[in-house]
Amino acid sequence: MKKLMCLLLLTTASSAYAAVSVIVHPSNGSSFESSTIKRIFTGKEKSFSNGNKVIPISQEAGSAVTDEFNDKVLNKSSAQLKAYWSKLIFTGKGTPPKEVSNDAEVLKMISANPDTIGFVSSDAVTDQVKVIKQF
Amino acid sequence: MKLKYTLLIAALTSTALHAEVNISGFASINGGKVLNGSGVPQFGLEPTFLADYPIVSAYKEDFSFSPESLIGLQVSGDLGEGLSVTGQIVARGANDYDAEFEWAYVSYDINDSWTIQAGKKRLPLFYYSDFYDVGYAYVWMRAPADNYTWQIFNYEGVNLLYNGSIGDWGISANIYTGREDDEENKLLSDFFFQTPTREIWEDILGGVVQLSYDWLELRATHMQYTNRRFRNGEASMWNGKDSREGKFYGLAANADFGNFFVLTEFNRLDLDGNLDTYMISAGYRINDFTPYVMVSNFEGEGEDAEKHDTQALGVRWDFHPSAAFKVQYDKVKDDSVSLAVAGDSEALTIGIDVVF
Repeated sequence: MKKLMCLLLLTTASSAYAAVSVIVHPSNGSSFESSTIKRIFTGKEKSFSNGNKVIPISQEAGSAVTDEFNDKVLNKSSAQLKAYWSKLIFTGKGTPPKEVSNDAEVLKMISANPDTIGFVSSDAVTDQVKVIKQF
Repeated sequence: MKLKYTLLIAALTSTALHAEVNISGFASINGGKVLNGSGVPQFGLEPTFLADYPIVSAYKEDFSFSPESLIGLQVSGDLGEGLSVTGQIVARGANDYDAEFEWAYVSYDINDSWTIQAGKKRLPLFYYSDFYDVGYAYVWMRAPADNYTWQIFNYEGVNLLYNGSIGDWGISANIYTGREDDEENKLLSDFFFQTPTREIWEDILGGVVQLSYDWLELRATHMQYTNRRFRNGEASMWNGKDSREGKFYGLAANADFGNFFVLTEFNRLDLDGNLDTYMISAGYRINDFTPYVMVSNFEGEGEDAEKHDTQALGVRWDFHPSAAFKVQYDKVKDDSVSLAVAGDSEALTIGIDVVF
């Protein structure tokens, strides 16, 4: 029974991450399609539409919000994404986005640097950042 | 040559104070055996499954981990302002785990789109050439042996790389030039001729264009080179000349529909006659499991030419966030006589691929 309770708690905890918000610095006026976000986070797009070099910030593999983002935005499982990046890393063709460990760290980095883009669970969003898309 | 790479490592370590140094790696622990095979009686070769030509990964009837197991370490120093230096050391079971620098190059980002690289790199003939050693990056146990048969797989030279996009299409392209002088080529010395053979590919000039659109990926390539060869120190002659010209053409198309995917590759090497290869593979992802099938084929021109094909089926299981387990069954048919490679065989191989 205790196990069942834990399971229930876990399920509710992860459903709190049901929505993912993609965020940028409030001063960033670039335009974004879903496909732009996908290309930025797979290393295929290196600049914002405003011309600035983009610095994508990801979160640790295995966290609920990362899984959600990978699934809904990149349409890839974490294993597929890892295979994709290992192909680029070991051929000198690309470097994966910097990874931080939680929503708070993403918010801190995005609010401090106009050239960054990241994702957090929607209920963590503050007015220090601008939401460009919700998934 | 060794000294040059030692210096490179010294440079990497000494700049550690000023540069951001990244260490990453990959490993494959593979084992397998021939279940059933004809060998090549006319050459006295016992039943053999040649899983990889250039490295001579030969499985026999006794189970072995040696032919394909490997560990690779990549050290990359980012010196800032677009300049970086990368070395990749690979130790292969097929070479008694002697560690060798297989990649050693400097890279400079001219701007967002253009990068220039110089040093020792993998020769990007085939779609999977560049990351052939990183088993984790593809679905099978290995890229199909019938296709990846060429004795030279690295080169020293210069590579100009472009990355860009048009609308929703991603474009990457590169042009490279260089040469490779392999003092004792493993495939030719140990397997085909069984005498020390020096293989030279010079005046290499090649280009690759790769287009990607969401679910579709296309790759086209061309490369030309001049081949010289010395067997036991004696120059090989072809049509009265001590060199010959090779021209390589390749086309690959991959389609990924989410769970179902199809991978294809078609290649031709024109080296005093055409040598054609193809590969077609399909798989279906079911959560962490990906069963797949593959057929590959090699066919030379003319009578009594080299001709062989492979049918394979297997499963990849992503049992861990950084590791995959694979099992694959291969059935090879070797129809060549005087150019027989390893005869017919059926083989079972299993393995774990990791990245770190």
